Amino acid sequence: MSAVNPNRPMDTAIAVARTREDVVVGNEIVRHRLFSRYMHWAVAVTFVVCLLTGMPIWTPVFGWMATLFGGLSVCRVVHSWVGVAFFLASAAQFVEWMHDMHVEAWEKDWLGPRVFRYLRYEKDDPRTGKYNGGQKLYFWAVSLGAVGLMLSGLLMWFPTGFPSFLRQAAYLIHDFTFICFVVSLVFHVYLGTAAEPGTFGSMTRGTVTRAWARLHHPRWYRDVTGDDSRRP
Amino acid sequence: MSLDIRRSSASVWGSHSGMRSVPTVSKYIDTTTCIGCKACEVACQEWNDLKPVATEQTGTYQTLPTLDAGYWNLIRFNERDFDGGLAWLMRKDQCMHCDEPGCLAACPAPGAIVQYENGIVDVNPDQCIGCKYCETGCPFDVPRFSATTGKMAKCTLCVDRVSVGLEPACVKSCPTGCLHFGTKDDMVALGNIRVGQLKANGFAQATLYDPQGVHGTSVVTILAHGDHPEWYGLPADPHVPWGVKLWKKVLRPIGGLAILGAVLGAFAHYTRFGPKKVEGADEQDANLPRA
Repeated sequence: MSAVNPNRPMDTAIAVARTREDVVVGNEIVRHRLFSRYMHWAVAVTFVVCLLTGMPIWTPVFGWMATLFGGLSVCRVVHSWVGVAFFLASAAQFVEWMHDMHVEAWEKDWLGPRVFRYLRYEKDDPRTGKYNGGQKLYFWAVSLGAVGLMLSGLLMWFPTGFPSFLRQAAYLIHDFTFICFVVSLVFHVYLGTAAEPGTFGSMTRGTVTRAWARLHHPRWYRDVTGDDSRRP
Repeated sequence: MSLDIRRSSASVWGSHSGMRSVPTVSKYIDTTTCIGCKACEVACQEWNDLKPVATEQTGTYQTLPTLDAGYWNLIRFNERDFDGGLAWLMRKDQCMHCDEPGCLAACPAPGAIVQYENGIVDVNPDQCIGCKYCETGCPFDVPRFSATTGKMAKCTLCVDRVSVGLEPACVKSCPTGCLHFGTKDDMVALGNIRVGQLKANGFAQATLYDPQGVHGTSVVTILAHGDHPEWYGLPADPHVPWGVKLWKKVLRPIGGLAILGAVLGAFAHYTRFGPKKVEGADEQDANLPRA
């Protein structure tokens, strides 16, 4: 480790989290290595830019957002290109995370009532690994959504020559996907910040506390720490 | 003539002034007396200061295969064999100035497409963002995107001339009288007379093309073969595409409510449940391995 300030002890967790994840450092566990966090921030920032440039094109109610970028015609250009960046970032994130996202059979009920039990803060299933069923399903949904947004977006960007029904379908798919994205994103950000303290650090420092891991992802906690003592 | 605006694209409440009583105007095109001289094409280019567009030979007398961002008025030389002979069904192709304009419905840029009180549908290049949504909204395949300007362009029905009491340039130039300009009521009356003449002369299917799917157009067209508008390159029943209506009128409000609902839902959840506390956040197990 280079450039250690002797007056300020090196933050070991930060250093470890540059390259490694799923390891314990003191009271913390590294959840996302640096590359993983960069990817997720790239997806987040490009999505928000697309949101702010797309909403004023979607409806004049949000026309004021266009001012942030210098007008609607700027939005149109920025939206298209940043949209491509969003797709590329989503693709990289997909490759980075897909190995952890296998939905197990018992997690299928996340499609139904388990979501509401989760929102009522009922205890998570002890089998919950690094990602819970909801996160896994969300991962596959947004990955599919990113493909839908990209394909329909390309058609909207270069409509000339395509039959009218395809262009109309592109508008509808782009809008529908965007609406689903925003609705789920509101909860994604809410759960990751206000609703579940300790989560946001995994996107900044890359780490979570042991207690957080034990509560939200018990099987991941056991796998990473080897601590079986609190097995329910 | 007043240029009060009846409808404006992407305007939440519209901009209907309602102060003046303005008659809807219309162009009248009689395809049966058109001789294909293209004087209207020239007049359109001249009056609108449009640059020359290179012609394309497609095996007919037609100047270009289709309308262009720099060519707003095109005589289509449709050829049709029947009864052992050939009919030359020439039609002046241009913006139809729909009463319910699909381009305006699809346009996301406030004020980029306006419909004046007199029925003329016009583009405001200042506001146009070049998204081409209007291409999809138009049931007549009229708006054209200019790669040079990054904007769309189409016939303005010479709104600059009409607003000072002149007829459109194409009408002014027509040597056979197949083009007329006036109030919509007058043009429909004139059209009905002409349709009567045609019917009396053996064209039993003659009609005045004023499609009601878009609530009528400010270009009414006499068709000798009114049962086959497609012979002239006109859609039989044009309307604003269903996809565009569904997108703007149904999906958009539902989406707005869904997003609002999600934000309110998150607030309500936080108010009801608060944060999900992690118990014993500070505890540390000294026996566990370190990285």
